[in-house]
Amino acid sequence: MKRQVVLLAMLSWAGAAMAAEPPANHRNFVACPIVRDTNTVPCWLAEYEGETYFLTIQTDVSAPVNPPWLGHRVLVEGTVSDEPRICGGIVLKPVALSVMQELDGSCNTMLPAEERYNLAFEPPRPPGPSKGRLAFGDPVTKPRAEEVAASRSFELRYEFDSLVMFRHAQPLQQIFEHARQSNATKVQITGYRAASLLSNGQLMQEDKEIGRRRAEQVADLLRGAGLTALQYEVKWQDETKRAKGVEDAAVRRVQVVVSR
Amino acid sequence: MLKAKVKIAIGIGAGLLAGAVFADQPVAGHVPNQNRQAQQAPVSDSQSPPANRWWTPGEGTPLPPVIAYPNSFGQVGVLNNAGVIDTKGHPFFEPIGENGRACVSCHQPANAMSLSVEMVQQRWHETQGKDPIFAPIDGMNCPDLPPGDPKSHSLLLERGLFRIFLPWPPKAADGSNIDPEFTIEVVRDPTGCNMHATYGLKSANPMVSVYRRPRVAANTKYFTHQGFGVFSFIGKNGLPATRDPETGLPSGMNILSDARQPTLKTQAVEAAVTHLQFNGKLDEERLAKIVSFESQVYTAQAMHVGAGSLIETETPPGLGIYNLAKGREGLLGNNVTNFVFPMSEAWRKPAPSPDPEITRRNDMRASIARGHDVFMFRTFWIKDAMHLNTVGLGNPTKRTCSTCHGMHMMGMDIVNGWMDLGTTNLPWAREEPLNPWNERKPQMPLFKITCKANVPPHPFLGRVFYTQDPGRGLISGKCNDVGAIVMQQFRGLAARAPYFANGSAGSLRELVDFYDRRFNIGYTDQEREDLINFLSAL
Ligand code: HEC
Ligand code: HEC
Repeated sequence: MKRQVVLLAMLSWAGAAMAAEPPANHRNFVACPIVRDTNTVPCWLAEYEGETYFLTIQTDVSAPVNPPWLGHRVLVEGTVSDEPRICGGIVLKPVALSVMQELDGSCNTMLPAEERYNLAFEPPRPPGPSKGRLAFGDPVTKPRAEEVAASRSFELRYEFDSLVMFRHAQPLQQIFEHARQSNATKVQITGYRAASLLSNGQLMQEDKEIGRRRAEQVADLLRGAGLTALQYEVKWQDETKRAKGVEDAAVRRVQVVVSR
Repeated sequence: MLKAKVKIAIGIGAGLLAGAVFADQPVAGHVPNQNRQAQQAPVSDSQSPPANRWWTPGEGTPLPPVIAYPNSFGQVGVLNNAGVIDTKGHPFFEPIGENGRACVSCHQPANAMSLSVEMVQQRWHETQGKDPIFAPIDGMNCPDLPPGDPKSHSLLLERGLFRIFLPWPPKAADGSNIDPEFTIEVVRDPTGCNMHATYGLKSANPMVSVYRRPRVAANTKYFTHQGFGVFSFIGKNGLPATRDPETGLPSGMNILSDARQPTLKTQAVEAAVTHLQFNGKLDEERLAKIVSFESQVYTAQAMHVGAGSLIETETPPGLGIYNLAKGREGLLGNNVTNFVFPMSEAWRKPAPSPDPEITRRNDMRASIARGHDVFMFRTFWIKDAMHLNTVGLGNPTKRTCSTCHGMHMMGMDIVNGWMDLGTTNLPWAREEPLNPWNERKPQMPLFKITCKANVPPHPFLGRVFYTQDPGRGLISGKCNDVGAIVMQQFRGLAARAPYFANGSAGSLRELVDFYDRRFNIGYTDQEREDLINFLSAL
């Protein structure tokens, strides 16, 4: 009960407004993540309206979905799938997770392994050394030399309210290499601010300045890595109105167009 | 007796002069400020008489291709791949600065090219505190304390720490100021240096003083590799990597506790300025000689008291100086194909022997092999470690020692290796217990860090927290880098206690105990013993 009050307070602070409801098979909510041990890797869960949802398992840095953090709430944006439950939770897939930046000491639930919740499959990576490769490939691989187009567009996706993080090293590297290989002269960077339509009808909006900050940061990083001779065009746009509770996470992005 | 330098007399002028020596000589942004302070600090009379196991600056004896020195776990070996090193006139071995020190003063072959606190104490007694390692600039808690008084050198004598002084706010590569994401307030200044009118944060040349252990100046091909994970953007946070100013290539960012220098060469320029009080930039010829020496010298434990020789052919591929020199750099070892420190079946399951001595030796070998498995495979919950839990593994993550220490043959991180393990940030950092029955006073400085309102709080420590050494944060100015320390290599550990950048673990047992507390591991006596044996054989 108390938790809900805090949650509402948090949301209004983040700039919440009432809007239409997302489709019934979507679950978009902010909650404390829960980690459950298994006899292999831990799995990550969250509760919403009395039901438990499975978010992801622990793998490694290369995973497409990375586990959230205890000590912080997480914004879950997922679709209910018809896969069998994992670790007791209804499987959300696809799912986007955003760690909320403020600390929340009440998010501290660690559950022990239970026979009935052990994974029914072998995880891509055991809870220790791998079998010689990353589960999903090197998160920062040198891009293959490919045909160099005169103009190419790239997209960076973000967690809610966040700027560049570890996951962006690879796409940034690709932009960097492409600009070098194509002898690019121009780069257009557009940062977007978005919102997420929660299952309870609240509209959770990103920080007002986030679109600008995302765009400016990407420009700074490319310059900082040595792309100083390019002509930069840096713009930002508010797309909070696009939120409809379906793939809202895809709107939190920066678009980069590199051209000769 | 202090030899007051002429330059001190002209005060601020000395600073300008010291800055000007780099006018047409590009160096890392923070170095001109360091030079100003180094040139302001006094130089005391020094003597460095030769002694057993000790390399005296300028002694001129050749360094043989292979040499071994005793330590409490056996012997550490030093291997020069290039053959005999003629140290006469060699810039790593000659006192090229103004205080009588050479690089070798703090990077001693007998201490795995680092410097143990036991050796520091021995030198104090042999020279009545006159060895140049005790030079005021950084061998004293702060440069203007009375020389010769052990209290003035307590951090060096008790914990093997040298003073590292860095400008605040931090400097970008081009020397411009970085606008930091956090403010620093000095809440405890037992050395007096952070509040000092000449050397402190509020001086004309504002500097933060932190206290750090020397690191191993050997096995460098591994921690300067251009292999796995070295890109233009840092794999842990997406920010641009520092670059080699000559080639423009990104650096692996694994040199020094805070990765403030991109290459061995730029590091040597700074070391000459800060540690040797060399005024200006070392010339190309001497820099090249230093780097080529560091690039061919290998060090590791060569003989283990219990397990015997580590340089014979049957030695497991992860142990001993020869295997180390042969090994491949730039390789991720946190897997069961490369391994971090590959062991051998012969050690794991030795053939039974009627000879009790061989049986004892084999028991130790088996313990070392088990310790390796504790390092590699014993899981525990790694929690609240910035730059580990934040890079996609989740918080907490059920993993092992080798998750953080994955570099083949080194046990460093394969990519830029700074993380907040809690060695310098409270609440985990070692602090003196304060109570009416303890007469000891805290020795380390303590800083209050406040992350500014326009950046997210530190993910695990919040907006306001305390640290003994902001580590990488002093260079990047990033709130979430505060207390993140670049992990150092695991080789020659037996020869160079104490451990961690701030010397807070006095022995391998204390190091393992730190982890046991930090991550609530719950080692059995056997696991602890095996792990210590393993670490002592590296
Ligand atoms: C007064 C002692 C002292 C002297 C003299 C000294 N160093 Fe060091 N060295 C240190 C300390 C302390 C560190 C660690 C500093 C840090 O982490 O910020 C270090 C670190 C290093 C490292 C980094 C190793 C690693 O694993 O990151 C190298 C390389 C090195 N020194 C080379 C040199 C060279 C070359 C010289 C001579 C020009 C020199 N040092 C002189 C104390 C010294
Ligand atoms: C969360 C990442 C992490 C984990 C897990 C971890 N370490 Fe470390 N380790 C570090 C960091 C960071 C440093 C450098 C800290 C410092 O110097 O203050 C370090 C330093 C070390 C050193 C170097 C000491 C020296 O002074 O040369 C040793 C040895 C070591 N760790 C052993 C271990 C062992 C054994 C385990 C498993 C019990 C382990 N580590 C687990 C991050 C980790």
